[in-house]
Amino acid sequence: MINLIVIVISAVMFALVLVWWRWPAFRSWIEAPKYFMLRQERRFGDRNAARTPSSTYLP
Amino acid sequence: MTPLSQQSVYPAGQRSVQAAAELPSVEYDLIRAHVFSSLVTLVLSVLFGILVATKFTFPEFLGGHGWLTWGRLRYNHTQGIFFGWLGNAFLAFFYYAVPRLANRPVLSRKLGWFLFCIWNFAVVLPGWVLVAAGFSQPLEWAEFPLIVDAFVVLAFILMIFQFVLPFLKARLSDLYVSAWYIIGGIVFTMLAYPVGNFVPELIPGARGAAFSGLWIHDAVGLFVTPFALAIAYYVIPATTRRAIFSHFLSMVGFWLLFFIYPLNGTHHYVYSAIPMAAQKGAIVASAYLGMDVILVVTNLLLSLRGNSGTASKDVPLRFVWFGVVSYLLVGLQGSVQALMPVNRFIHFTDWVIGHSHFAMIGFASFIALGGIAHLWQRIPGTRYNERAMNWSFWLLAGGLTLMIADLTVAGLVEAQVWQSSAPWIDSVRAVASYWLVRTFSGLPVLAGFVLFWISLLTGPKVSAESTSVLSREVSENISVFDGDTSIGQRQPSFAGRFSYVHALIFGAGVGFFALSFLVLAILPGKELADEIKQVAPVTMPALSASEQRGRVIYGREGCAYCHTQQVRSLVADVRRFGAPTEAWETKYDYPQLWGTRRIGPDLSREFNIHPRDWQLTHLYNPRLVVRDSIMPPYPWLFGGSANQPTQEGLDLLAYLQSLGRARQLSGFDQQTSASSVQSATPHMAMASQASARATPPTVPIAMTGGYSDSAPVLHPASNPGDLQEEISRGGTLFAANCASCHGSAGRGDGRASASLLPKPANLTAARFSDERLSSVLWNGITGSAMPPWRQLPTEDLRALVAYIDTLHVPNAAPTTPEATSLNEGKSLFAANCASCHGDTGAGNGPAAGALAPSPTNFQLKEPTEERAWEVLENGVPGTAMPPWQTQLSANQRHALIEFVRSLYGTPQENSRR
Repeated sequence: MINLIVIVISAVMFALVLVWWRWPAFRSWIEAPKYFMLRQERRFGDRNAARTPSSTYLP
Repeated sequence: MTPLSQQSVYPAGQRSVQAAAELPSVEYDLIRAHVFSSLVTLVLSVLFGILVATKFTFPEFLGGHGWLTWGRLRYNHTQGIFFGWLGNAFLAFFYYAVPRLANRPVLSRKLGWFLFCIWNFAVVLPGWVLVAAGFSQPLEWAEFPLIVDAFVVLAFILMIFQFVLPFLKARLSDLYVSAWYIIGGIVFTMLAYPVGNFVPELIPGARGAAFSGLWIHDAVGLFVTPFALAIAYYVIPATTRRAIFSHFLSMVGFWLLFFIYPLNGTHHYVYSAIPMAAQKGAIVASAYLGMDVILVVTNLLLSLRGNSGTASKDVPLRFVWFGVVSYLLVGLQGSVQALMPVNRFIHFTDWVIGHSHFAMIGFASFIALGGIAHLWQRIPGTRYNERAMNWSFWLLAGGLTLMIADLTVAGLVEAQVWQSSAPWIDSVRAVASYWLVRTFSGLPVLAGFVLFWISLLTGPKVSAESTSVLSREVSENISVFDGDTSIGQRQPSFAGRFSYVHALIFGAGVGFFALSFLVLAILPGKELADEIKQVAPVTMPALSASEQRGRVIYGREGCAYCHTQQVRSLVADVRRFGAPTEAWETKYDYPQLWGTRRIGPDLSREFNIHPRDWQLTHLYNPRLVVRDSIMPPYPWLFGGSANQPTQEGLDLLAYLQSLGRARQLSGFDQQTSASSVQSATPHMAMASQASARATPPTVPIAMTGGYSDSAPVLHPASNPGDLQEEISRGGTLFAANCASCHGSAGRGDGRASASLLPKPANLTAARFSDERLSSVLWNGITGSAMPPWRQLPTEDLRALVAYIDTLHVPNAAPTTPEATSLNEGKSLFAANCASCHGDTGAGNGPAAGALAPSPTNFQLKEPTEERAWEVLENGVPGTAMPPWQTQLSANQRHALIEFVRSLYGTPQENSRR
């Protein structure tokens, strides 16, 4: 049973890799969230900048 | 075709207060509250841990109160780290990250405060208080009592509303991997927690252990790991201001984690009674998990490429980097230690404790600290002291490295001793110095955590200046991405179709999760139930009410965290503790008490090994009977001395003396030897394992006292030089193993003697033949506290015989008894003593068979006149020997003593001498 499960999981993962390799649209779709996250970081940073006076803190 | 720059929530160059105002709100007060709670509980939990570690070296330290005993502190240490520290830290991160990742606020501020109160004032605080007061559940990572578990489940349901609903309202195709880890962690933990905490209370023994094993691993795999990785995947790009290496790889790693992790649980019970198919399945899954760890860590480290400078300068990022590298090491270590050739040696040892500290501090805590430090700098109005934070990192890294190295080596040393035939206590002695180092290694760890807290309270106030700098650099990176047309040409129709992929895989994940319980718990449980029905003795008695109460006390004091109740199918285990534990032996165990750690020996065959007074003395103060024991004392189970057990003390004693009773009384081992039941239980036989049942199961080392196998006769060396060396070594062995009862000079006045009945023998008051000493050392003395010592090497036993020979002080002026006196003594002996001691004084009279301890064999033991006189006057309390002061006159007693002393020496012994 466990062998079957491992084989099924492996098959699913290889199928995903295959889709990623053969289908550029999938690639761009699956990679998009990482840029969305960065945009959100920028937006929230700007909000803080708008509502809070600057200080001496330097990262 | 829509360029991503135009899909962004607001276009570049038009950042404005107005646009920013449309952003979802972030609950900064809740973040601060959870951060504060996390650090308070962290410091307290680490303090509990240091107390626990200190007790390894100083077991009496704070040992007078039940609520400060080792077991309860240990429960509160792990549960405090799990719920108090990591739980609060993760919740703080959720409040920071969810509005950013979902582009929506969390569901409700009021719900947030309600959740905060539930988590801290219905779970952590009452959990600690109840455990300290003696209400707990003796299951690994599930120690808080059931009432607290109910609130934990409620909290996770609330988390779904608070944190998962915002994601469900957002577009799935925009969900970043951190969001998936948050969703997965909450949903799967909510499902796994009840199974791991409630089911073992309903399903007994080995069958329940199959479920417990799943939760032990799910606690790390479905709660700690996903949330820690969510933080790592968030902090790295947010700090480096560059997107992670591959979101695709991150999602593959995410799904592998949730598919594979639940299948690992049974690797905590390798070589146990759980069906071998489930064990091997868990081992395969563990190896598979190692590959997932490599994938995830590779992706995270590649995300840091070109940013080594940032990682070294930015302390929060450095915390996360350390955690990621630790994740790689501890993940691979976990995969390796699940493999049978490794597991058979290191399981139950401190190696595993080092592994868990590596996971919980090196991986999870470092990442959580990095996450907190990261978000703290981005909360306006907070303070941040980078210098203190830097020191915190180095203290933690140094202390943790020392701790893990120390525990790992200690585990290897323990494993080495356990494989030998040395007494169990030798393994305790061998790692005593390592435990001391471990305690000291906890101090820089504690200092590091305290300094981390200080770094959040001191230093300059954080303002928005930093976040605006960050924003500009992020914009540049996004612009680069926007210019990449091959990536940016994304069609909405594709996005719509692919959105279902995530939902589909999430459904598959839930299916796999359910499958893990089916494959590793439900099916093996059914197999075990069939096996129990087939092989369990018909007359197996259930525990009495007193034994049942004792079992609860055993659980609440954490006994199962030092003493296992599972003999594994390994030669080293079988030789030391007896036949491997069968599933049927645990059929009344609600919940199972198999344990996952051995500091003391396995107790599943404790029935008939130690007598009542030894057990009570040992519970009152273990060092009274085992000098180098590190077991905590339990004085609150007594009324002031070992002779005055309370009802709880008696209950615990009753339970301890019931362990293994069913197996011994049923004659199960004789039946299995005769009928070869192994063919009916193939998973236990493990035919491929040469070690399995290689030793006859009925001849463990620690057999009951008085076991009647003929002992080898150990004669000391005849060469004076060798004899002197033997005596010297015997003295050392005597001091280490015997002096606690017999006293340092062998007068029977050791610290334990006050509470032992019969008293330990005064070895200076009699001459013993080599045969007698060999027999006692080999078999112990039934009905007394004298255990068998056959686990010692023969050379050591011989050295002890040589040393004990020297303790006897012969009469200054030996007298030759007169014939008339001897004749009178002989008549008196025949009339009064022969029924027990036998006609020839060999201790084999008609009544001897029913007496324990057996009557003295005067052919092998010659008491001094003083001792013999004392015995005739007072008898021997705790034995069948009565006082003869009133029945016999002084002259008669004198004559009897002369006769008895004349019996010494078998023909062979006399001729040798």
